[in-house]
Amino acid sequence: MSENPNTPINEAEILESFAVPPRTGRFKTVLNWIVREPFGTLGAFLIMLMVFVSVFAPVLNTTDPMGFGVDILQAPSVDHFFGTDRTGKDLWSRVLYGGRISLKIGLATVIIGTFAGTVFALLAGFFGGFVDFIFGRITDILFAVPTFLLALTLSTSIGADMPDLPGIPSGELVVIIAISVGFMPGIFRIMRGLVLEQRGTEYVLAAEVTGASQTRIMARHILPNMLGLMIVATSITLPAAILTESALSFLGAGVPPGSPSWGADLSGASRTYLMRAPWLAVFPGLALSLTVFGFNIFGDALRDTLDPRLRGKI
Amino acid sequence: MRNYIIRRLVSVPLMLIGLSLLLFLLLWVRPGSAAFGVAGGLSLDTDFERLEERMGLNKPWYEQYGMWLGKAVQGDFGNSLVPPQNSVTSQISGRVGNTIEIGLLTIIISAVIGIPIGIISAVKRNSKLDVTLRTITILGISVPNFWTATLLLVLPAKFFGWTPLSTDFSTFGEDPIKNLSIVIWPAIILAYSSAAYTARLVRSSMLEVFYSDYVRTARAKGLVERIVVLRHAFRNSLIPVLTVIGLQLGVILGGAVIAEQIFAIPGIGLLTYKAYLAQDYTVVLGTVMMFALLFVLVNLLVDLLYTVVDPRIRY
Repeated sequence: MSENPNTPINEAEILESFAVPPRTGRFKTVLNWIVREPFGTLGAFLIMLMVFVSVFAPVLNTTDPMGFGVDILQAPSVDHFFGTDRTGKDLWSRVLYGGRISLKIGLATVIIGTFAGTVFALLAGFFGGFVDFIFGRITDILFAVPTFLLALTLSTSIGADMPDLPGIPSGELVVIIAISVGFMPGIFRIMRGLVLEQRGTEYVLAAEVTGASQTRIMARHILPNMLGLMIVATSITLPAAILTESALSFLGAGVPPGSPSWGADLSGASRTYLMRAPWLAVFPGLALSLTVFGFNIFGDALRDTLDPRLRGKI
Repeated sequence: MRNYIIRRLVSVPLMLIGLSLLLFLLLWVRPGSAAFGVAGGLSLDTDFERLEERMGLNKPWYEQYGMWLGKAVQGDFGNSLVPPQNSVTSQISGRVGNTIEIGLLTIIISAVIGIPIGIISAVKRNSKLDVTLRTITILGISVPNFWTATLLLVLPAKFFGWTPLSTDFSTFGEDPIKNLSIVIWPAIILAYSSAAYTARLVRSSMLEVFYSDYVRTARAKGLVERIVVLRHAFRNSLIPVLTVIGLQLGVILGGAVIAEQIFAIPGIGLLTYKAYLAQDYTVVLGTVMMFALLFVLVNLLVDLLYTVVDPRIRY
């Protein structure tokens, strides 16, 4: 890609750029993408690795991540790849199972946050007037609090009567809701702008003229055009949600005490032993950083591919 | 322009009142929780009821909120629920300076590092240097501050016997040099990721401006590239940069809760954290309102600065 306007003109290159590209198979498309976006590929690889170890954590030489052991504060060895903590818990197991929690909370947050944010934006942007006013003011109010503080406040104040869902204990559900609500104002604002933009286009007008119902216009004409931006919002929110979860758990306001969370493992009582056992400080943070890094570089490449207008913007 | 400023100035208190109502409902109106916080396990029914009565907790929530708001607009956020029940306002005013100092230092460091990196990245776009810088900036936004802060405490202590953690804190007024030598560490920890955000935004907004007509004109009339970059391209890419610095403050203030806790800095971040742990909801309400006030005011300032940076913008 020659962006530099000072590059000498190469006729063959220009002609080639106007040529109709040959049809490429799906496999070849993926292959092309890998060549064009080596960093994105690295990101995808890191994400797949993380998903793999999370899913197969039980068979990857782990023990119960919450189980105590007799080997206290052991340095990394063949028995304990990442060493053990002050109660003999195997850090390798905790890091692997910690991936499950991070991934679960990240995904759930994105699904709830992006979905709810988009629905609210669709309603506000489409109907305008009073609905827009109410949603807009609530967003303004939530926007006044820094996201992390909002999530912290919510996760420490809601939850006395949160139900257990299958696969998601109430303690984790609280965190998910807290982070989702924290991210919702941002998603709402971006999406609302897009709905307003769509609302003014000729094809929406045309649909209105032909007598399409409001639900149909929203579902068939506006929503499909929001998918790209929804994926972009997801690619930004997912790593941010994982970081927020670990930061909340680091402060003791996240997942229930004892749960294997990368943030929680860096905090609390284990901090007293960091000098004696520096591996306790290294591995959970390394796993967290690599995961977020993977999601970020993959998201970057995805944005470049999906929407060249956004290239390098976010 | 004047109308715009007036409208914004009116909207700020309205927004803060709305926020306080929301937080009040979230934190306060839960059966018995506040009185329980005070009693601290004292569970004799009679005492409990008397306590509730004294604190006004037996009144309906809107009366309680009205009482709180009436005092809050006069600058009185009530007393801490936890003994010794100090005034929330005096606790905040004694500490907010330290948090503002960290915030300011962080913004300065991140601008000084982030803006040049963004410019270099944009000028040398797609070169090896650019790819390297972009990788570093993505790393910067990926690596969590509480981890680097932890490593900063552990590794130098382990290998050099030195730690940035200080046990006795002194404010800037008391001992500027000592104060800076303590406060600089949380600022650096918070600054690297916001520097990375700033660099990414400067790069992309400069690239956009690079293809505009006036930059082409400036080049065509033979101006030195350095002048084109700094005077034509950079100044015009400042607006999104201003926006991001305003929004970054939100991330920085949120991070201050973590950084102040790790480095034991007595700011309102540490106050908030301790109040959460103790379920001291009057303090939580007060500090979150203070954070929101700082955040909203700075973003108001940013909006007004737009007109200075870009005379084309008129409200």
